[in-house]
Amino acid sequence: MKYDVVIVGAGPAGTVTARFAAESGAKVLIIERRQEIGVPVLCGEGVSRKIDEWGMLEGKRWIACNMEGARIFSPDGTMVKLSAEMAGNETGYVVYRDIFDQELARQAAKAGAKIVMNTNAIDLLREKDKIIGVKAKQYDDEIEIEADIVVGTDGVESKIGQWAGIDTRLDPKDLETCCQYTLTNIDCKEAYCDFYLGNKIAPGGYIWVFPKGKDVANVGIGVLGNLSEAGMPKKLLDQFIANNPRLKNGNPIRFLAGAVPVANPVETVKDNIILVGDSARQVDPITGGGLTHCLEAGKIAGETIGMAIEQQQFDKETLSSYETGWKEAFGKKLKRNYMVKEIFLDFDDKTLNMLADSLKDIKFDEISTFALVKALVLKHPTLLMKLRPLMKISSEA
Amino acid sequence: MGKPKAIVDRNICLACGGCISVCPQDALSMFGGRALVTEEKCISCAICIRICPIGAISGRYAANEI
Ligand SMILES: Cc1cc2nc3c(=O)[nH]c(=O)nc-3n(C[C@H](O)[C@H](O)[C@H](O)COP(=O)(O)OP(=O)(O)OC[C@H]3O[C@@H](n4cnc5c(N)ncnc54)[C@H](O)[C@@H]3O)c2cc1C
Ligand code: SF4
Ligand code: SF4
Repeated sequence: MKYDVVIVGAGPAGTVTARFAAESGAKVLIIERRQEIGVPVLCGEGVSRKIDEWGMLEGKRWIACNMEGARIFSPDGTMVKLSAEMAGNETGYVVYRDIFDQELARQAAKAGAKIVMNTNAIDLLREKDKIIGVKAKQYDDEIEIEADIVVGTDGVESKIGQWAGIDTRLDPKDLETCCQYTLTNIDCKEAYCDFYLGNKIAPGGYIWVFPKGKDVANVGIGVLGNLSEAGMPKKLLDQFIANNPRLKNGNPIRFLAGAVPVANPVETVKDNIILVGDSARQVDPITGGGLTHCLEAGKIAGETIGMAIEQQQFDKETLSSYETGWKEAFGKKLKRNYMVKEIFLDFDDKTLNMLADSLKDIKFDEISTFALVKALVLKHPTLLMKLRPLMKISSEA
Repeated sequence: MGKPKAIVDRNICLACGGCISVCPQDALSMFGGRALVTEEKCISCAICIRICPIGAISGRYAANEI
């Protein structure tokens, strides 16, 4: 059977791309190797309320909790409080990712996309050098699916990209290696997403506590790959929980391992190929948040596919209006935040403490660069030197 | 004797895909819901072993080298 588009992976990037491609008239097939969309959940489940504006999800069943903001704790425990609007991509709602993903899949199906499960892409299908679809394994059978466009939304593994000759391999310094407990029997009455920083707490990353209810939260850790060792994230997280009065009596109801690309994005189009979401490394390199980008980029990808089908042109040049589109939407931010990530990595615990101490009294809903600089210089003049590269970046962006 | 090849403990692996994304040889892939090493492709660089957040990968000598 031939389709206009075959989409590999039914995460948010895949199903949103599918929906908008189908809505613009394309014949769409999504293949997913799992047996249930969104399960197992591999996510901290924090997402910005920006998604309300896009109106891609109906109802409220996917929302676990409304967040008032974020609190960032420096290594010595100094707290900086941010309102949800200031706190960026991962604060606003804490969601049920399984329901969230399934709702997006429902929308894709409603638009006319076909979803098949238990189907694992194992290679691209080619005719001479031209990509004409994917080979997949469905139970014990090998099947061939022909399509004019193959979309790689296969997440962090990004095999579709690799098979198409795009260098998606991650350097360990561009990967946060993670694990997370969902803990119950803890106190989360205050609706804040908490972030704990420190080179001993989580080298090159952070520990997060995202409430999913009054007594339940996702408690996870990300450690930068080049600073990690076998099993280190789990060890550090267990240690943190055991020593934290609020968490130590918690009981786990879920445990997961995860991997977040914190890299510069890769090439996202080639002849007959598009990559969206984690497979394209469209993740905020500072926070590790990817959900909003999947939705934004997925919509643009779907619309580009619709246009390509109408013109019956599937070459790189035609598809590159997708790349231009997502770069306009959030490309600059990713690039800037990648540089910020590199600068932050040089900060020792003392610098982080000084930063937090300077920022702790600022009201962050009325922030300006000037107010920030003033606060920093007044309290800890030596910080100015360390922050100079950061200020350079923010004045250019 | 060569270096030990990577092997995934299928009872521990939680299928996060991290090891797959860092392997320089495309020697890892997801199979039956767990990561799996294709031994012939593995060059024993141990990057995947360090990356696994829960310590599910270790080094093992190929059967013909023991
Ligand atoms: C521990 C952790 C915490 C996170 N916390 C947050 C957070 O709080 N907020 C946030 O915004 N982001 C967070 N992220 C990032 C977020 O989860 C990702 O950005 C998001 O899931 C990416 O969506 P995607 O559709 O690109 O890929 P995925 O959601 O990973 O979906 C990929 C899909 O492709 C399927 N697939 C892969 N290969 C194949 C194949 N060969 N054949 C068929 N199917 C295939 C997979 O089974 C999967 O269903 C977190 C990530 C991790 C790991
Ligand atoms: S990094 Fe570890 S948990 Fe993740 S897929 Fe590889 S072996 Fe499994
Ligand atoms: S040891 Fe190196 S080559 Fe072998 S599977 Fe692990 S990362 Fe790949």
